[in-house]
Amino acid sequence: MAPLLAALVNLNKRPYYIHWGVIQLSAANAVVILLMLVVFAAAVLVPFPKDRGE
Amino acid sequence: MTATWTSRVRERAEGSFPPEQLLPDRQPAYMASWVYVFGALTIAGLVMIILSGTVLALEGPQWYHGSRVGHFVNSIHLWSVELFFFCMVVHLWAKFFMAAWRGRRAATWVTGAVAFVVSVATAFTGYAVQSNFDSQWITTQAKDGMNAVGIGSWFNVLDYGQMLLFHVLLLPVAVVALTGLHVLFVRRRGVVPPIGSEGTVGPAGHWAGPTRRYDVLKELTVAFVVIAVLAVGLSIVFSSPDDREVTVQQWARAAPNDFVATATAELDGTSGSASYGAPYNHNGPGQKLGPLALQRWAGVTIPIDSADVFVVAPLRGVPGDAQLSGALSQWGGAPADQQGKWATDYDNALQKAPDNDPSKLTGGDYGPVPVMTGRLLQLAQSGGLDGALLAQGRFYATDYTRPLLFIADGTYLASLAQDQHLLGSQWGMMNETGRYPGQAWLWLYTFWYQVKPFSSSGNADALVWAVMMLLTLGLIFVPFLPVVRSIPRWVPVHRLIWRSWYGRGA
Repeated sequence: MAPLLAALVNLNKRPYYIHWGVIQLSAANAVVILLMLVVFAAAVLVPFPKDRGE
Repeated sequence: MTATWTSRVRERAEGSFPPEQLLPDRQPAYMASWVYVFGALTIAGLVMIILSGTVLALEGPQWYHGSRVGHFVNSIHLWSVELFFFCMVVHLWAKFFMAAWRGRRAATWVTGAVAFVVSVATAFTGYAVQSNFDSQWITTQAKDGMNAVGIGSWFNVLDYGQMLLFHVLLLPVAVVALTGLHVLFVRRRGVVPPIGSEGTVGPAGHWAGPTRRYDVLKELTVAFVVIAVLAVGLSIVFSSPDDREVTVQQWARAAPNDFVATATAELDGTSGSASYGAPYNHNGPGQKLGPLALQRWAGVTIPIDSADVFVVAPLRGVPGDAQLSGALSQWGGAPADQQGKWATDYDNALQKAPDNDPSKLTGGDYGPVPVMTGRLLQLAQSGGLDGALLAQGRFYATDYTRPLLFIADGTYLASLAQDQHLLGSQWGMMNETGRYPGQAWLWLYTFWYQVKPFSSSGNADALVWAVMMLLTLGLIFVPFLPVVRSIPRWVPVHRLIWRSWYGRGA
């Protein structure tokens, strides 16, 4: 069980930051926000399965 | 037969929530978009947070800091929170573009928006009670925002015990209650029909058009499995941050000159805490919101006499040191202006000394101050000052206001935070240590501090809080805001969400 409890990817390192004018965003937060936009767009655009029982 | 209170409530409940509405197996045919699953995913995230939080509560902080299994469950809790907010934000966006408040559904929107705001507060208290470096930094910074508008006089973010109870009891109960109310409103009014199809409703406001099969329990179960797999998977892959807390001892050993300078500033009244104002003392005017001195009006509810609390009182507890006893007697017997002159002269001399090193000072009459600050440094380096500052005259201590204020008065904690990009000027409030995502949902709160007039104002905290309160009220009451509530009609996202419904007649 022990190996499962250690991180496979170590994020305890010096962070990356995105500087754009007044905006200063950590790469991790930027990824989360970008993922939210992508997931929202996908949820809107990807066709929903038709009701096979009708 | 006369109706009883109980029978009236039961009849009202049966009329508002018939079983087929509470546990539906059919839904309107227009519900054919993936955006609809994010409500269930958000609830699944909340369930996962409560389950992992319950395990953490069963075992306690020593367990989740000190054992690998405990830290793993802590990671699940953290990632569940990230997933919960992720899904809730997508749900919120979708409902905004659907104008989901139409058809007497304003209460549904309002309860959902309030649940979001209370969730942000709950997550914040979670970050405050991590009992690690991140929580030390977050709380010492956030206190200024709370204090600036008077909230800090009773909601003390530096009081670990108070924050822990808010986090594990009061706020989760509020989030669960609001979520339950929100779901009940959804079930009562039904899911909002497509824009332009509002005419296809029955007398009770429910959809009277075509329907499709739906299984609410299956949806919730699948949503929970998805969230559970993601939370556990992210915990296995990334774990979670847990930088060790900074102790007074660590500070005194790593930066002794900064420690002595801070202790001297406590004595001469120039430290951040000594000159703060309410809720700690009357030594500063506090922040204002225009003519409103909310900070001052809230009063001094957590009295801190910096010289006495951080320096003199801990030194009185040091036994068997004749030189120190003499220094304390000299200090205690001197008038206030003499005490101030000694400390100020010593403070000025330290600032001019090479590396601010007390051992490189030459000459000067500083009275008992060098002995007092030197002995305080020794006490701190031995670890004794950590306990002395935390002691509140009782065996059990859960309020870390004093040690946190003292550590934050120095520059050591801030220098560590700067390395981790956690300073306010670095958008630090939304960041996490290392390369982990933080409280991204605080982006707007953090943003205001970066731009004028907030960035250059002495009342920045009060101003930012006022703006955020207004914007939060705006979010909650979107259904009643004339222009904002019309935006979904102008932006054709709803035509994409309901494209299969709109395309039926084509």
